[in-house]
Amino acid sequence: MKTLDIYNTDKDILQKWYHLLTLGRAIDEKAPMHQRQSLGWSFHAPYAGHDGIQLAIGQTFVRGQDFLFPYYRDMLTALSAGMTAEEIILNGISKATDLTSGGRHMSNHFSKIEWHIENISSAVGTQAMHAVGVARAMAYYNHTGVAITSIGEATVSEGYVYEAINGASTEKLPVIFVIQDNGYGISVPKKDQTANRKVAENFSGFKNLKIIYCNGKDVFDSMNAMAEARAHAIETGSPVIVHANCVRIGSHSNSDNQSLYRDEYELSYVKAADPLLKFRRMLLRYNRFTEEELLAIEAEVKKELSIANRNAIMAPDPDPSTVLDFVLPEPYLPAKYRDGTHNEAGEKTNLVTAINETLKSEFRHNPDTFLWGQDVANRDKGGVFNVTKGLQKEFGSKRVFNAPIAEDFIVGSANGMCRFDPKIHIVIEGAEFADYFWPAVEQYVECTHEYWRSNGQFTPNITLRLASGGYIGGGLYHSQNVEGALSTLPGARIVYPSFADDAAGLLRTAMRSKGFTLFLEPKALYNAVEAATVVPDDFEVPFGKARIRRTGDDATLITYGNTTHLCLKVAERLAKENIGNIEVIDIRSLIPLDKQTLFESVKKTGKVIVVHEDKVFSGFGAELAATIGTEMFRYLDAPIQRVGSTFTPVGFHPVFEQAILPNEERIYKAAKELLEY
Amino acid sequence: MLLHNVQEDCNNLQQHEVTYFLRLKNYYSMKKIGLFYGAGIATAAIVAKIQEAFGDTQVDRIPVETARGVDFEAYDNLIMGVSTWFDGELPAHWDEIVPELKTLNLHKKKVAIFGLGDQQNYPDNFVDAIGILARVVEVQGAELAGQTSSESYHFQQSQAIRDNNFLGLALDVDNQSDKTDERIRNWVEQLKREFL
Ligand SMILES: Cc1cc2nc3c(=O)[nH]c(=O)nc-3n(C[C@H](O)[C@H](O)[C@H](O)COP(=O)(O)O)c2cc1C
Ligand SMILES: Cc1ncc(C[n+]2csc(CCOP(=O)(O)OP(=O)(O)O)c2C)c(N)n1
Repeated sequence: MKTLDIYNTDKDILQKWYHLLTLGRAIDEKAPMHQRQSLGWSFHAPYAGHDGIQLAIGQTFVRGQDFLFPYYRDMLTALSAGMTAEEIILNGISKATDLTSGGRHMSNHFSKIEWHIENISSAVGTQAMHAVGVARAMAYYNHTGVAITSIGEATVSEGYVYEAINGASTEKLPVIFVIQDNGYGISVPKKDQTANRKVAENFSGFKNLKIIYCNGKDVFDSMNAMAEARAHAIETGSPVIVHANCVRIGSHSNSDNQSLYRDEYELSYVKAADPLLKFRRMLLRYNRFTEEELLAIEAEVKKELSIANRNAIMAPDPDPSTVLDFVLPEPYLPAKYRDGTHNEAGEKTNLVTAINETLKSEFRHNPDTFLWGQDVANRDKGGVFNVTKGLQKEFGSKRVFNAPIAEDFIVGSANGMCRFDPKIHIVIEGAEFADYFWPAVEQYVECTHEYWRSNGQFTPNITLRLASGGYIGGGLYHSQNVEGALSTLPGARIVYPSFADDAAGLLRTAMRSKGFTLFLEPKALYNAVEAATVVPDDFEVPFGKARIRRTGDDATLITYGNTTHLCLKVAERLAKENIGNIEVIDIRSLIPLDKQTLFESVKKTGKVIVVHEDKVFSGFGAELAATIGTEMFRYLDAPIQRVGSTFTPVGFHPVFEQAILPNEERIYKAAKELLEY
Repeated sequence: MLLHNVQEDCNNLQQHEVTYFLRLKNYYSMKKIGLFYGAGIATAAIVAKIQEAFGDTQVDRIPVETARGVDFEAYDNLIMGVSTWFDGELPAHWDEIVPELKTLNLHKKKVAIFGLGDQQNYPDNFVDAIGILARVVEVQGAELAGQTSSESYHFQQSQAIRDNNFLGLALDVDNQSDKTDERIRNWVEQLKREFL
C-alpha cells in the first residue's frame, strides 16, 4: 500500500482535501452564528483540532461497502464521506428535510442512512455495539466492507465500549474503532479517565485486535493510518483500533466555557497546533500550491457555503402534527387468526415447547433469522429453561449461538446486525433472567428510539425474549418483572402471554413483524399444566388483541402473565360460591393495548379489578386503572381495585415470597369486596 | 591558519603541551554549527543558553519554521532543538519539515539533538521527539553526537533511549530546572569534543 506524503499525493487529491478541510471549518465557524440568530444549531460540538483524522475517516469510508457510525463531533467526517454542506446545515438547524431525522434528533448528529452513514444516539459510545453487530452481518453474508465507528477518548471509559471491542475481538469482526483523543471529556482531563495516557493501550492484550496510533492533527498520518486499518480489517476480517491524537481547539460545545478550566497557555498551544493551518503551511512549503491557488479555493468555499446556507435556511421546518409518526412500524397482520383465537382441539403443548417449536418453525420460514443470548446453545443444552433446545443443532452455530455475559452487548449487537439488511430478524434472549436485563437498558432505549429518531428510516427487527416473574422461590434476582419499568419507553411492543397458544402466536407475529418487540415469558408457567394448550401449527396472535379467557357480567378482571391463572381460579370459585360472575381478560399485549376489548367489558360490568404480578405501585396496572378511570368513568360503579406485589423486592424464603407476590387469596378478597361494593 | 602544522610540531612537545595544542586545534578547526529549533517558549530560552555556552564558536540560529533543506546541508555540525508534545509527538513545525529532511543527504554530518520534555506528566513519552528526529537524520546518513546518560531522570518509556542512553540531551525545565544549566554546560563541552 502506498504511504501518502506531501510529495507523492496527487495535486487534485490535495485540492479535494484542502477544499473539504476549509469547507468543514467554515461550517464549524458559522454554526454558532445560526444559534445567535435563533435559527437553530443549539447543540454544536466544534471539531477543530480533529481535522486530520476526520478527513481521513470520511475519505476511507467506501460507500456501498462500509457502514459508518460517526459521533456528535464528526462533522468533517460526514462531509468528507460525501455529505454536502447543505445536508450538514439541514441537520444543524433541524429542518424537516434533515437527513438524520427531520429535526427530531439533536443537531450535530449527522447521518445519511441511505449511504449507511448511520444515525446514532447522543449517549456516548453506544454506536460501538452497532458497528460490531453490523460487522457480524458482513462476516455472515461474506460481504466485503468494514464498520467504522468513532468515539472520544473519554467515552472509552464506558463499560459497553469495552464490551463492543471485546465482542469484535472474540468474534473477529471487521470493525474499525476510531478513538479521537482530544484529552478531554467536556472538562474532565483524560488522566481522570484511565491510567494510560493513550487509552488504546488498555486494549493491547486483546487477541485479533490491531492498534494503530496516529497523529489526528496530521492529514497524511491520519490518511495512512485509516487506509492501513481498513486494509487490515478487510484482509484479516478482524478489528482495528485507530487511536488518533487530536486537540480540542474550542470548547466542548456551545454550552461549555473552556476558559473556566483551561488557561491561556493551553488555549494558545492548542490553537498553534491547528491541523488546518499545518496542512496549509505544508502545501506552500512544498510548493504544491501557491498562495493564490489556496486563496482561490478559500473563496470558492465561501461561495459554496453561502449558497448551502441560504438553501438550508429556506427549507421547511418540521410539522408538529407528525409527532406520532414512526413510534412503531406497522406490524405483521395475521390473515387467518385475526383476533388471535382458535378452536382447534387435540393434544396440549407446554408453554416452553410452544415457544421452542415456534422458534424452530420461524427459523425454517425465514433463513435470515438469528438467535443469541447467554447459555442458549451448547450441544444438548438450550437455555437455562430449554427454550432454545435443539435450535443450534438444526440451524447451525452461525445462526444460533451463545453470547458473552454482556447484556448490553447482546441487545446492542442485535440492533447493529439488523441494520445490514431489513430482511434480517433477530431473536435475543436479553438476559438469562429478566432480573439481569438491567445492564442492557441503555441499548433497550436505543432500540425504542431508532424508528422515531430516524424519521422512519430504520427500525430494528428484534424480538427480545426475557424469562420473567416469580413463583419459583428465586428471591430478589430471579423473580423480577420488568414491564412496569420498561413500558414507559415508547418504541417497543410489549407482550406477556400466559398460555402456550398465545405465546406461540405472539412470537410468530413478533418474528414476522418489522420493529422491536419485548416478549416476556412467565417462566413459572413454562412447564405448568394450566398454561398448556392446543397450539395450531400456524397460530398467530395480532398485537393489541386482548383475549377474554372467561366471560362474565358482574366485574371485569384485567390481567396478564402468571396471574391470569390465579384470576381464572378465583373467578371460578366466586361463581361457584354464587358471589358473582367475573369476566377475565388476559391483555396479552401491553403495548399496543386493546382498549376496545377492555372498554366493552367495563361498559358491561361497571366494575374493574386489575391484577398483575409486578408491584402495584407504579406497575403497569396503574396505567390500566388510570386509562379506564379517565375514559370510562361514567360506566364505573365502584373504584377500580388493584392487586399485585408489595412495594418491596421479592424475598427468598417461601414465607416472604408468599407475602409479597399476589396469590389467590388476595385476589379473591379484593374481587369479592368489589363485587359486594 | 598555521594550525595545520600543529600536529607535526606536537611531536616535539611535552605530553601536556600536546593535549593543549590538540584542543586548540579542534577548537579552531571546528566547522560552523547550525542550531535548528522549533518555536516553543521553553526551547527558545535553552537555545540562548546553548549559544552562550559555546562562547566564541559560531553558532547560527535557524528557526525550523523558515528553514529549508539547503539550510541543513550548509552545516557539518548541526544541533536540533525539539520539544515533545501531545504524548510523544514532534511539535507541528518540526513535523512539517520531516518530509524534507527525509530527502537530504546528511552523510558526514554530525547531528546533536536536545529536547525538552516533562518526565513527571509524560513518563511514557518522555522526550520522544529526540528519538523520532534522531531516527530520521540517521536514516539520511548523519552521525548522532551528544548522546547522554539517562541516569538522573525518572520515567517509564522514551523513544529517545538507546542502550540506556538518550540519543541527545534531555532537558526537563518543568521538573528539573535546577539541573538544566549544568546539563547544558556539560553537553556543550561534550559537543565541542565530538564536533570535530
Ligand atoms: C499538551 C502537552 C503535551 C506534552 N507532551 C509531552 C510528552 O509527550 N513528552 C514529554 O516529554 N513532554 C511533554 N510535554 C512537556 C513539554 O515538552 C515541555 O513542557 C517543554 O518544556 C515544552 O517546551 P516548548 O515550550 O519549547 O515547546 C507536553 C506538554 C504539553 C503542554
Ligand atoms: C452515556 C453518556 N454519558 C454522558 C454524556 C454526556 N457527555 C456528552 S459528551 C461527553 C464527553 C465525551 O468526551 P469524549 O469521549 O472524550 O469525546 P469529545 O467530546 O471530547 O470529543 C459527555 C460526558 C453522554 N452524552 N452520554
